[in-house]
Amino acid sequence: METQRCKGARDLLAEDMERFRQVEDAFRNSCINWGYREIKTPTLEYIHLFTAAGTLTPAMLSRVYSFLDWDGWGGERVVLRPDGTIPVARLYSENLTGAKIARLCYVTNVFAFEETGKENREKWQCGVELLGDGNPTSEAEIIALALEVLNTLGISRIALKLSHAGVLKALVAELKLSAEEKANLLDEILEGNWQALSRVNSNKKISATISAIMNLKGKSGSFLLNLMAMPEISGSLKKELEKFAKVAGLLDTLGYRYEIDFTSIKGFEYYTGLCFKIRAGNTRVCSGGRYDNLVSLVGGSNVPACGFALYLDELAARVKPWSRQKAEKTVIVRTETTGTTAIKEAFKLSGALRNAGLIAELDFRGSQLDSRWEVTVQEKKQGYMVKDKTKNLPKKAADVNEVINIIGGFGKVGK
Amino acid sequence: MVSSIAQDTRLALPKGKMLSRTAGFLSDIGLGFEDYTSKTRIYRMRSQTMPSLSAKMLNERDIPVQVAIGNYDFGICTSDWLQELHARYPASNVVKVCDLDYAKAGIYLACARDATFSVDTLRDSDTAVCIVTEYPALAEAAAYKMRLKKFRIFPLWGSAEAYLPENADLAIVSSADEGGLAALNLRSVKKIGDSSACIIASRESLQTADFSRILALFTSALKSGGKSRAETTKSSAVITNDYVPVAADGNIWLALADGHQQVHTAAFLEKAGIKMTGYSKDDMRRRPASSLDGVNIKVIRPQDMPQQVANGNFDVAVTGRDWLLDHLYQFPSSPVVELVNLGFGRVRVVAVVSEDVPADSIEDIRDLIQRGDLTPLRIASEYVNIADKYLRDRHIARYRVIPTWGATEVYLPEDADMLIENTETGQTLARHRLKIIDTLFESTACLIANRQSLISPKKRNKIEKLVKIFRGTSG
Repeated sequence: METQRCKGARDLLAEDMERFRQVEDAFRNSCINWGYREIKTPTLEYIHLFTAAGTLTPAMLSRVYSFLDWDGWGGERVVLRPDGTIPVARLYSENLTGAKIARLCYVTNVFAFEETGKENREKWQCGVELLGDGNPTSEAEIIALALEVLNTLGISRIALKLSHAGVLKALVAELKLSAEEKANLLDEILEGNWQALSRVNSNKKISATISAIMNLKGKSGSFLLNLMAMPEISGSLKKELEKFAKVAGLLDTLGYRYEIDFTSIKGFEYYTGLCFKIRAGNTRVCSGGRYDNLVSLVGGSNVPACGFALYLDELAARVKPWSRQKAEKTVIVRTETTGTTAIKEAFKLSGALRNAGLIAELDFRGSQLDSRWEVTVQEKKQGYMVKDKTKNLPKKAADVNEVINIIGGFGKVGK
Repeated sequence: MVSSIAQDTRLALPKGKMLSRTAGFLSDIGLGFEDYTSKTRIYRMRSQTMPSLSAKMLNERDIPVQVAIGNYDFGICTSDWLQELHARYPASNVVKVCDLDYAKAGIYLACARDATFSVDTLRDSDTAVCIVTEYPALAEAAAYKMRLKKFRIFPLWGSAEAYLPENADLAIVSSADEGGLAALNLRSVKKIGDSSACIIASRESLQTADFSRILALFTSALKSGGKSRAETTKSSAVITNDYVPVAADGNIWLALADGHQQVHTAAFLEKAGIKMTGYSKDDMRRRPASSLDGVNIKVIRPQDMPQQVANGNFDVAVTGRDWLLDHLYQFPSSPVVELVNLGFGRVRVVAVVSEDVPADSIEDIRDLIQRGDLTPLRIASEYVNIADKYLRDRHIARYRVIPTWGATEVYLPEDADMLIENTETGQTLARHRLKIIDTLFESTACLIANRQSLISPKKRNKIEKLVKIFRGTSG
């Protein structure tokens, strides 16, 4: 049958949702324990929120879903949220300006066109934003939080990579380009083309330093101290390297292992300081960083901020679904006949089972298979037949309490 | 794999200002079509030298879209329309084969000649930059690239230069050179691309069938260097675009039509006893003068008027009810209202199918779709929003509206299954073996207004005066 589903859209089936919820629950639990509060922003936003210089790159903007709303004769387009952080910056600047520090978290979908239609055009992320704190401890906090969530989920082969947008921007500023050349160069770099930097720079003294910054991979904050001692490091570049070294040093103290790789930064241009990403094997599962200008760019005051997004689709694919545990706890409730007395009895029984912490599923058509337990209401004999499918030994029970006792006695079901 | 020799090759050729030069190019490479002239009433042509080659004449702007959706293997158009399509739909199924040596032009981001905009001042602007253009997708890409903080794009059917500087900051226009811009009273802020006539092909066609013979003919023209192809037909008279700042505060702005509707509108104004200077065939100005008190006039496309009244650029306009409805279906809460039915320019907007389709009503069409024929139903129309609402309201399950820029009757039956089209007498439709299965509404010229202007104390009296004159004339 020809599919009716939109290209690039995805149905999340029950098992997918069980994986999703597992990630979301781990994420929310950790966030709440660290003092974060959950929010949600609308799916539609005005496009100018994302076009302001320093928010999204032209390449990303050319893939947004934008259109004129039913009242859009004024020419202003609306857009399906293409990014999670920018709307939160808007929400903060419009609602939370009085707050000194805001710790916010959310689970959201983001939309971006993808040409082949084989990848998802709607993606999900778990996001965290820590607004109002410019200290390096806040970067360390969100990195620790992200790693905690990944740890809880049992994600293996985790690797943390650090880069720094402030260093990168200071480096580009050293090249003394015109405003337009500079914007074009930054666009290229943000789209991952680091070669652009060496191309511009071929005849300048700073090239050895640029090449060191681009090609060396640091394993600790000492690497940054070494870079600061390189020739042709200007005052502004040194200042940014110092900021980076502070965060890296703090992570060293806290015992987190990482790699410094300046070329690992890609995509978002609103970052101003530390940028990080976390890989699981070869897949990027998290990225984040500091964005001290964003709140003012979307109309708020100058508020330092940092945050990250966990990629829910990637993580959900890496956790085990609940189905197996669920089958252990599921009781199928059947009736011998479909008379009203039996049906009433079955509703009553299943309610009692649910109160006892079990999953009770009504099945009047005899078609459900995926469970360990099965209880049949015996209308004539005034009782119940309890079957443990793993043992194939039916037991009789006179009343509801007895049913619960049998199931509790056989299985390892908690309250 | 055995390559399949293309049995039938379909070529889309431009009408309008590129026609004579394209005909010259085709006859030079030995692919001339006898009927490919501006006088012809035949839209379907077959090549004498290559019998497997057939051609149809379309509006230039529609050609990339038609090639992209697979209705034609090849097309000839100016590359600005190809760039516009690719800017909006990068995955489009259409590729450029080669540029041709005529209709060369630059695509410019332009401002009014005396305006002081530069790329740097635009980037730093905190107020919304307003861009008018026939190339909305190129405009959007340019705005992203320039990092405009806030911008609004008004897609136009044409006459972009008329909007600057009063109604818009920038226009994106195609022009032979900067001198051409100056003639329109514009100045280049930034050249954003080049354009020339070009041959385009369907990617699907190139990937699946053998077109080497016709491709060899096309490219032979490039090797010979090509003749310079001067514009033979004089391009439609340029409308003078002088800008004089109008100081009079509280004047109302009235939009009048250029193009086909100009003659009828001018006749109506004359009948109403309004004296016009600069609104006649011999003397056309973007800002004509009139004997009306407190009224500033500008000449633009009637299709663009409803949105331009809605956004407050104009208080009143003389346009067609068809375009008003198309606007209101897109923006149901728009502040534009019809004030006076002017009575002239009467047409019916109808649903049309080929005589060969076994259907006499839209219900019959729905039955055909339910039986699995005609699905998805392809509707070609200039009235995208009217067509969309019509099909939606009649619960046609799966349909596609193909936007066109006029001369829609040529699309049936090969390139579309149904048209939503206007007709005066129905004769053109009958000549093309088409039949009307439904009349959506009757349209005449009307005076439209912005509801806000009607309650403005400064403007209300002037509009009421105009309404009185127009009512008296239309009766």
